[in-house]
Amino acid sequence: MPFAHHVMGVEGAYPLLYAVWLLPFAGAVACWAFGPQLRRLAGPLASAVIGAAFAGTLLMWGFATQSVGGALGAHVSLGAWTRGFDFGLLMDPLALIWCIIITGVGFLIHVYSIGYMDGDRAYARFFAYMNFFVFAMLTLVLSDNVVGLLVGWGLVGLASYLLIGFWFERPSAVAAARKAFVINVVGDVGMMFAIFAIYAHVGSIGYGDIFANVPALGGALFLICVGLFIGAAAKSAQVPLHTWLPDAMEGPTPVSALIHAATMVTAGVYLVARFWPLFSSSPDAQELVATIGGITALLGAILGTAQWDIKRILAYSTMSQIGYMIMGVGVGAYEGGVSHFFTHAFFKAQLFLGSGLIIHALHNEQDIRRMGGLRARMPFAFWAMTLGVLAICGIPGFSAFFSKDAIIYGALRHGHPWLFWTGIVTAGITAYYMFRMLFVTFLGEYRGDVDPSDLGIRHPELAGTPLPAAPSHGESAEEPHAPAWIMEAPVAILMVPSVFAGWLLFGERSPWHAFFAQQFRPEATVATGIPELAASAIVLVMVLAGIGIAYYRYASKPALENATGRLQQESVHMPAALSAAFYFDTALDILFVKPAQGLGTVFGRWVDPKVIDGAVREIVLSCRWLGHLFRSFETGLVRAYALIVVFGAACFLAYYAFARGL
Amino acid sequence: MMVLLALVVLPIAAGFALYALPRADRTLAKGIATGVAAVTFLAGIALRDQSMSVRWLARPFTAAFHFADDGIGFWIALLLALCTLCAVLAANVPRLRDFLALMLLLEGAMMGVFLARDLLVFALFWDLMLVPVFLGLLGWGEHPSTAWRYLIYNFAGGLTLLLSTAAFGVAFGSTDVIGRSGLAHLGYIWGPWIFAGFAFAFLVKTPIWPLHTWMPPTYSDTPPPMVAVVSAVQSKAGLYGFIVVGMALLPEAMHAATYVMLWLGLISLLYGGFVALVQTDAKRIVAYSSLSHLGLILVAIFSFNALALRGALIYVIAHGLFNAVLFLVLGFIEEREETRSLPRLGGLARANPKIAGAFAIGALAALGLPGLIGFAGELIMLTGIFSAGYFWPALIALVPIVLAAAYMLRLFQDIMQGPEIPDVPIRRDLTLIEGLAVAPLVLAMVFFGVNPHALTTFDTTLYVSASELAP
Amino acid sequence: MNSALLPVSLMSYVGLSAVIFFIGVGGVLLRRNPLIILMSIELMWNSANLLFLAFARVWLNNAGHIFAFLVITVAAAEAAIGLAIVVVVFRRTHHVDVDDVRLLKG
Repeated sequence: MPFAHHVMGVEGAYPLLYAVWLLPFAGAVACWAFGPQLRRLAGPLASAVIGAAFAGTLLMWGFATQSVGGALGAHVSLGAWTRGFDFGLLMDPLALIWCIIITGVGFLIHVYSIGYMDGDRAYARFFAYMNFFVFAMLTLVLSDNVVGLLVGWGLVGLASYLLIGFWFERPSAVAAARKAFVINVVGDVGMMFAIFAIYAHVGSIGYGDIFANVPALGGALFLICVGLFIGAAAKSAQVPLHTWLPDAMEGPTPVSALIHAATMVTAGVYLVARFWPLFSSSPDAQELVATIGGITALLGAILGTAQWDIKRILAYSTMSQIGYMIMGVGVGAYEGGVSHFFTHAFFKAQLFLGSGLIIHALHNEQDIRRMGGLRARMPFAFWAMTLGVLAICGIPGFSAFFSKDAIIYGALRHGHPWLFWTGIVTAGITAYYMFRMLFVTFLGEYRGDVDPSDLGIRHPELAGTPLPAAPSHGESAEEPHAPAWIMEAPVAILMVPSVFAGWLLFGERSPWHAFFAQQFRPEATVATGIPELAASAIVLVMVLAGIGIAYYRYASKPALENATGRLQQESVHMPAALSAAFYFDTALDILFVKPAQGLGTVFGRWVDPKVIDGAVREIVLSCRWLGHLFRSFETGLVRAYALIVVFGAACFLAYYAFARGL
Repeated sequence: MMVLLALVVLPIAAGFALYALPRADRTLAKGIATGVAAVTFLAGIALRDQSMSVRWLARPFTAAFHFADDGIGFWIALLLALCTLCAVLAANVPRLRDFLALMLLLEGAMMGVFLARDLLVFALFWDLMLVPVFLGLLGWGEHPSTAWRYLIYNFAGGLTLLLSTAAFGVAFGSTDVIGRSGLAHLGYIWGPWIFAGFAFAFLVKTPIWPLHTWMPPTYSDTPPPMVAVVSAVQSKAGLYGFIVVGMALLPEAMHAATYVMLWLGLISLLYGGFVALVQTDAKRIVAYSSLSHLGLILVAIFSFNALALRGALIYVIAHGLFNAVLFLVLGFIEEREETRSLPRLGGLARANPKIAGAFAIGALAALGLPGLIGFAGELIMLTGIFSAGYFWPALIALVPIVLAAAYMLRLFQDIMQGPEIPDVPIRRDLTLIEGLAVAPLVLAMVFFGVNPHALTTFDTTLYVSASELAP
Repeated sequence: MNSALLPVSLMSYVGLSAVIFFIGVGGVLLRRNPLIILMSIELMWNSANLLFLAFARVWLNNAGHIFAFLVITVAAAEAAIGLAIVVVVFRRTHHVDVDDVRLLKG
């Protein structure tokens, strides 16, 4: 099918773009190959590489936002696999935002890791994986085609797998890593399906060709969107493919901050935003995406209220916040979804890194029931976490206030009132569980020396805390430790955007809007009946209510006086459905894992040896039976043979004599 | 001419010559075998548009010792030469001299299969390549019954192949036909029967469900360097046959068989995937994964689509590379740990990071990780199958990709990760020679994974006329 | 048919040949001594020879004579092998009876 190639972006030679893309890869190779030689230099080297990539990204700003004759951004061609499979790099505003977060937040988290991973046996390997992740994520967002996107998609999955299972001696980490990878492959497979359909209809994999031929997709459009969204749902932990994300907290905390909060898990949002021309043309697909997003937001928030592991609380909140973003891009409020990704990356990274400070100080204790009273002991961590919690709750003035309200109100404006109310309820629950975490962790008395059973911790070794002797620390006590500021400085820097990033979005004439005016076509809106300010007020009321309940249950005077007893009561009386995370794991196990293993067992133990080999054996046995039959003629008696010969000759003679009539 | 001779005759001659060496001198035998394999590999690189023909028969049909290379045969021959070189380097078995001799004989025989331009020569080498494997299984395998099972299954295939070749020769008048598509068609009376004979041989050799039960025991019993070559290259002989014999010479019969073959391919790819999920013998997991992957290639071939055909070649090479890596590495592990049972292995990555790295890359390529060659092949093949209008086959073929992730990770993690099992006091990591044996395969996987362009440029009209291709 | 060339009628030759042949067959089937069996086989060969010669005479075609020589040669070779086997068997068992040698029993 001959057609003119539609390339997005202004073609040119952008050495800087190559540098941004490939520097992290070079860093990964260097840390991996020369880890033993680099030793403690691996961390600074890897961080410097990502810092350089960040600088390069900022320098690309002008190219990324340039617009020449309808082409937006910077484009570089990289060659082709075969006809229709052309590869290239594209840096446009959407990719630019992601690159800024990936390299910027990535840089801070790398620096933080220098302190956090200090003394780990596989220090260089950790940074090799982290750099590799950044490279993979950049591949994902910089590709100008859906196969390159899928390549990045798979490689970030690999990086995530490697880093979740970083402490691979722990069986729980190994299992979590495998689960994350397999569920992500389900997503990859969905995207592969979309690629088949796209190629079959368009004959190309480039974004430009796809978006220029949306009408040609015809009836396949919905299926393509569904395939893409399966990929997005798996990567972004959307229901029902979300179960890997809480388990993924087995990885080191900086990994959770970078991969499972700030960047990789938002790839689904990127995907839907990138393919907005497709989703915008398929209302059914939009409905599906938005509904799944809304359900995930609510479900994540509800499950967040029932967790005791500080990282699992943050994991469920991540899931819930990504649910918001998916809902945003699903209803057509692309700008809102992308904005929330932008702000969320800062405050969630800050929250994770803050929790990492606590976990690090408490020697890998992650159960908030065994914390308490940390405000006095760790004031910096307290303020970092407090600012992060205020930001995520959407307190006016903090960043999420702007981005989350844009999504919630966007749902209403684009005609999804139910999602609007879901978003509002979720905001309230979010405030409740985030403040619950804050209060239980920092207020009251320190409970680390209380007997676990008094806190309702039934199986201390299974309660989500890592094994007592995590292999990361203590093995090299004589080595000098990295200074404390190296972990605190990145958190301190993150505080600035996590509070103020939202102001970028404020007002009709903010540069942010100009940024997106080029990228997305505005979607049709409906009359709402509720002004935006009123919607914000409703959200605020819900948030305050959530905070109030949390205060009453965990921070009020009677609650603090009998904190141990109350926590024990709550642990013991936790509804079974909540502690089992609504049985999603069990359901997936019963529906998919067990039947697959059962089939394998039946095939391997019964069909192969009994049916197929059985049939072959029947053939063999019938040959043997024939042999036995003929054997009876072989008497070994020479005269018997002679008689048979004579008899045969006689038969021939008789035949010729009688049948042929002589 | 010289190049082709070097490819086919040199390994065979050198294989026999190896028996003249002193039995005990392992270094000498390995040095010579490696040298011969390296020369063969270099000759393989130089192989481009070579041809060599010596007359053989005039009656009852014409036949010739005709060798040449084409787009697909070239790459498979190169793969074979590379795999043999790596396997010879990695070989470390008792009675090394005899084993290496068999490896070279195997290489020469398979070269004959992939470079023959005459059906009769093809059939001759087809049967010849059974012998070294059979002897290898007898001499180095665990159960002699496996050797007999291998021989009987494959010999039955060889028999139907020979019968069909003879019938083809009689019906067409010549067997010097490989590489010439669009010949006078054999018509509807003989064609299907001749094709059935060929197809049976190809299906057994690949293998495809339900003719596969010789394969798991063979793969788990054969010494690792030999199974690396057998699974990497010998299993491709059947698929290669479907392309150069079925597609090019018997297109009507091939078309008529499409649905049967699609079903067999789909069953194979699901069946292999499910069984691989629950096996506990590491080599059997890879064996059943092979069944799954090769089933996919069969589906691609029978979708009659240019893109799928190109993808099939990429995946043929991919499967060869990653299977060779997996079997070689499993061989290293078995040699060190003296077991390949998953419950008895664990946590090796801590002491053997290099082995773990090589193993991981092999396993990741096998599960279709983007950026490695398996993904490129899978994606292009499946896109081709889908573009040819086979919606459901393409959809079903996605299931084993998820299964592959599950069983390959299980294989890798159960062996390499988790708590270390402390029953071996000192664990030795990859030696230099072993590293050298695996490195080229890994590099090739990465290189072609990033850009498989070179594998996609062959001329599909050599195998199938444009009019018979699905859009 | 040229009777001048064949004073005795052809049918007599054929009849004699048949008689000799069946004596041979009978000997092979009924006797247990290998030497007698070999001799019986000789009889069958020679009955065939008789036919060759008779018909060669009738048809005036020397091919029959040639075949007779061929048969004599083959028969000599066969007798040599047969006697060798008999000798070997006798050395091992000290008596020869074909019914006792049943190594080929399946």
